[in-house]
Amino acid sequence: MSPVVGKPVNRVDGPDKVTGTGRYCGEIVLPGLAYGLIVGAAVANGRVVSIDETAARAAGGVFGIMTHRNTPKVANQPRLIPSLAGQPAPGESFFPMQDDVVHYWGQPVALVVADSEEAAAHAAALLDITYEPGVPVATIADGRASATQAKTLFGGLMPATDERGDVEGALAAAEVTVDATYHFAANHHNPLETSVTTAQWDGDRVTLWDSTMGVRASQLTVASLLGIPLSDVRVITHFVGGGFGSKAMVWPHVTLAAMAARHVGRPVRLALTRPQSFTSNGHREEQEQRITLGAGRDGRLTAIRHRKLSVTSPFDDWAEPATGVSTQIYGCDNYLGDHQLIHGNTMTPTFTRAPGESLGSFTLETAMDRLAYELGMDPIELRIMNHPPVDNHGNPWSSDGMADCLRRGADLFGWAGRDPTPGTRQEGNDLIGTGVAGAGYPVAFMMPVQHARARIFHDGSVVIQTSAQEFGIGVTTSMSQVGADGLGVDMDVLRFEAGDTDLPNTTSAVGSMGATMQSSAVHNAATTLRNDLIAHAVNDGKSPLHGLSPSSVKVADGRMTSTLDPSIGESYADLLQRNRLLDMEALGSWTPPGMDTPHGLLTFGAQFAEVAVDKDLGLVRVRRMTGVFAPGRVLNPKLARSQLLGGMLWGLGQALLEGNQIDRQSGRWALNNLGEYLVPVHADIPDIQVDFVEVEDDVVGPLGVKGVGEVGQVGAAAAIANAVFHATGRRMNELPMTAEVVMNGGGPG
Amino acid sequence: MEFLQPADWAEALAVKAAHPDALPIAGGTDVMVDLNFDRARPGALLDLTRVTDLTDWGTDGDWLRVGAGVTYRRLIDELAGRVPGLALASRTVGSPQIRNRGTVGGNLGSASPAGDAHPALLAAGALVELASVRGTRRVPVTEYFTGPKRSVRTPDELIAAFLVPARPGAEQFAKVGTRNAMVIAVCSFALSLDAATRTVGTGIGSAGPTPLRATEAEAFLAAELPWETRGAVPESVAARFGELVGSAARPIDDVRGSADYRRHALAVLARRALAWAWTDPGGAV
Ligand SMILES: Cc1cc2nc3c(=O)[nH]c(=O)nc-3n(C[C@H](O)[C@H](O)[C@H](O)COP(=O)(O)OP(=O)(O)OC[C@H]3O[C@@H](n4cnc5c(N)ncnc54)[C@H](O)[C@@H]3O)c2cc1C
Repeated sequence: MSPVVGKPVNRVDGPDKVTGTGRYCGEIVLPGLAYGLIVGAAVANGRVVSIDETAARAAGGVFGIMTHRNTPKVANQPRLIPSLAGQPAPGESFFPMQDDVVHYWGQPVALVVADSEEAAAHAAALLDITYEPGVPVATIADGRASATQAKTLFGGLMPATDERGDVEGALAAAEVTVDATYHFAANHHNPLETSVTTAQWDGDRVTLWDSTMGVRASQLTVASLLGIPLSDVRVITHFVGGGFGSKAMVWPHVTLAAMAARHVGRPVRLALTRPQSFTSNGHREEQEQRITLGAGRDGRLTAIRHRKLSVTSPFDDWAEPATGVSTQIYGCDNYLGDHQLIHGNTMTPTFTRAPGESLGSFTLETAMDRLAYELGMDPIELRIMNHPPVDNHGNPWSSDGMADCLRRGADLFGWAGRDPTPGTRQEGNDLIGTGVAGAGYPVAFMMPVQHARARIFHDGSVVIQTSAQEFGIGVTTSMSQVGADGLGVDMDVLRFEAGDTDLPNTTSAVGSMGATMQSSAVHNAATTLRNDLIAHAVNDGKSPLHGLSPSSVKVADGRMTSTLDPSIGESYADLLQRNRLLDMEALGSWTPPGMDTPHGLLTFGAQFAEVAVDKDLGLVRVRRMTGVFAPGRVLNPKLARSQLLGGMLWGLGQALLEGNQIDRQSGRWALNNLGEYLVPVHADIPDIQVDFVEVEDDVVGPLGVKGVGEVGQVGAAAAIANAVFHATGRRMNELPMTAEVVMNGGGPG
Repeated sequence: MEFLQPADWAEALAVKAAHPDALPIAGGTDVMVDLNFDRARPGALLDLTRVTDLTDWGTDGDWLRVGAGVTYRRLIDELAGRVPGLALASRTVGSPQIRNRGTVGGNLGSASPAGDAHPALLAAGALVELASVRGTRRVPVTEYFTGPKRSVRTPDELIAAFLVPARPGAEQFAKVGTRNAMVIAVCSFALSLDAATRTVGTGIGSAGPTPLRATEAEAFLAAELPWETRGAVPESVAARFGELVGSAARPIDDVRGSADYRRHALAVLARRALAWAWTDPGGAV
């Protein structure tokens, strides 16, 4: 049997999904189940003056109504810290329904629990709530004057400013400069499954079926807010219908579900409606970025100043970090990156696929394209010449691949011979253009030690377990592959179990780190068990392998054999049965290298796009895209390709369609459903090519896996914008690039 | 909520007369959205899908009469040669699923200014056949729309059919949408050139409180087109025609687009539709 890691194995959970037998968290049926519905504030700033429950209570089927008057006070409100850190991870440092103050539109002000979803919705509509509204400030336009320099981001985990050298001096001295300002509309995640939690109490213990990207984060956060021991909170999550960051943090509804179940003395299912998913689990914040590049005539960067201004909530200094890539993907001695914040009437923004770096890279990579034109240089050569062998601290990359991605992409895409002159190719009413962008996404070792368990039964069947759940990306499959190879068994005899806090700890599958963390723990558990079994055999006088050195025993298909003489050997099952062992198990752990490891940590890639722009209407259609990435070891190319392809399509959506804005009068999001908040449909999706550059990485874990969840989105929108420039001669300074933005010359400038 | 299911047309009209507040439902692609978003809470639904008369089409003198319940899918498959502009418009509606269920009767029933069938019906000079137990009337589609989502249809009436000239002119339809499918028009334009009568028909969608005709543009183009020679349309004529179409629109700024962009885009669509219709008279059976 040859190794399965690296093979395009089909999803093991595919049949459960397509036949509907897989149970999602909103499909858990429990005796006496009640249905909760949150009522969101209909003002963005102000106070709840009165709540008349009479009509709602009379509506029938209502088990209970919670408002700020009867909702229990939370025990400990944790501060916001990314769930990757393995601590309580509330989406905002705020819990609603503790008093009558309204900070943002849609903030939960009441929760109705009834005997059906319909009864809950009906009663919710009958709640008569009056407000004393204040004037909302929720946009950059309204809050600009109050912007302040952030000190730290992410609950203090990251400095908000990154400075080295003398940027102003270097810019003043630069032979060539590029200066551009961008405005980006807010984005929402919109997984197909909106967030849902089903909660059931048994005495003092609560079980939550929560559609989360991290069961452990849900457990830690709920236990803290309710003030109960961790051992009394169990979170189970077997299927999640997408997250994209909206389920990376633990939002108030999760704990409200537990509170509601206690309030009505029944299990409660609390699902967000689609409109509520625009106001309940964060968003990518509205932002402005300005970048100034200084370079020599030879193309060497001498200065980068990269600043971001964005809107956050009243409670948190949240900004997607926008400068983590621009500070290191190109070598530059003089750098300033910083983040300014407006505290406004929105909920705390959150991780949204390729958080920070997708727009930070849009800014950087479109500026690099401008610089290439200023210099008359090929944009690929400009990037390769500036990409350094070390990161901004002088540490060598754990693995690189940037230049190879650009070169391989150029070959696949057919870049050679491109005439860079803008506006020279026309077909019918369409102007045609091509563009390129570099991509990088941080590998962030914030997580604690990771654990997994491998267990083999005496019939040779195997179970591998770890807590972090599958949320659609395919880890059930890829971890089965890793476990099978690690232990030396066929995938068919192995089951991978996850999505339960009762299992050994792995951290939330966020920040593109899921596969790295889980594969490292699973690999270590499986190989530990393999080594234990081999040790058992060579020490067992009855084993044909007795007396051999463990290093001269190899395993395949569940059978240990001598590397010297393949006819000598026995199966794991024989060993266990002879010794009357019903099973053997091993715990594997992996300690991540830590944020201070002396290595540069980015996953690299390159993006190419060809667009057709209707010259009179400004409509942009993407004709084809090529993405090449270097994510270290690829556990399963079929799954990895899907992740990267999905990321590229997100980039396309971000470039052309996706954007929301808050109405300045009411403080309410203008769009709250998929009929109006447009994402690409099949007819918008062109021919897309995804390819890999192999790089070996012995820093990021025993298997050398970097992530593929987000880097696919980084640079995609920039490549499209650069292609639009090539087609039209117009620079795009606004996302999404609607037809009008394209017609009117690209936005603010 | 009551669910009324008449078995035939006579019963449908009788039920509508007895329950004027009952909301007809054909394909349901607008009705179900309204119910889902709680924009409508009708006392009763009147299901028209069992009324087979509504799914017939055939000629009626000089007219082609198409039942209100004929779906977009069938218009495309069965009638593309007879209602070329409407078939083009139908292809842009929603997605395959929506085209399999959605009907022109439903589009007229909703009377949204963005309904994609409307510009094509306006350009073709269609009639809308309205019926009630009191009788049947045929209203020119130009008089049918009275405001956003409002029409001349009275509460006891149902839409029986629409009628278009049995011999169509050269027809075109063009729509600006932010994406390639499943999209409400930013604006749309339909054109019909009838060489026999030397008349021009236009329809503008999504750029005013109702679907609109560009009457001044029609008269201008009818007078200026080289009908006799079939020679090329002079650049200046096309440009002026576009301008007149743009200025006939009464758009507002909304999330889909600004009024200025809509006027500009309509002028572009009008020029393009003219070029296509003039060089490729196609259409006619
Ligand atoms: C995802 C999606 C995409 C869409 N895309 C488009 C698009 O691209 N372009 C477009 O124009 N529309 C679009 N629509 C809207 C809708 O599909 C069309 O308006 C369609 O024509 C409605 O037809 P229906 O048969 O489904 O109508 P229904 O929903 O059944 O009815 C619509 C209205 O007409 C009334 N009605 C129906 N039949 C009659 C009758 N015989 N007599 C009297 N009143 C009647 C109903 O009472 C109701 O008020 C879309 C809808 C959805 C959900």
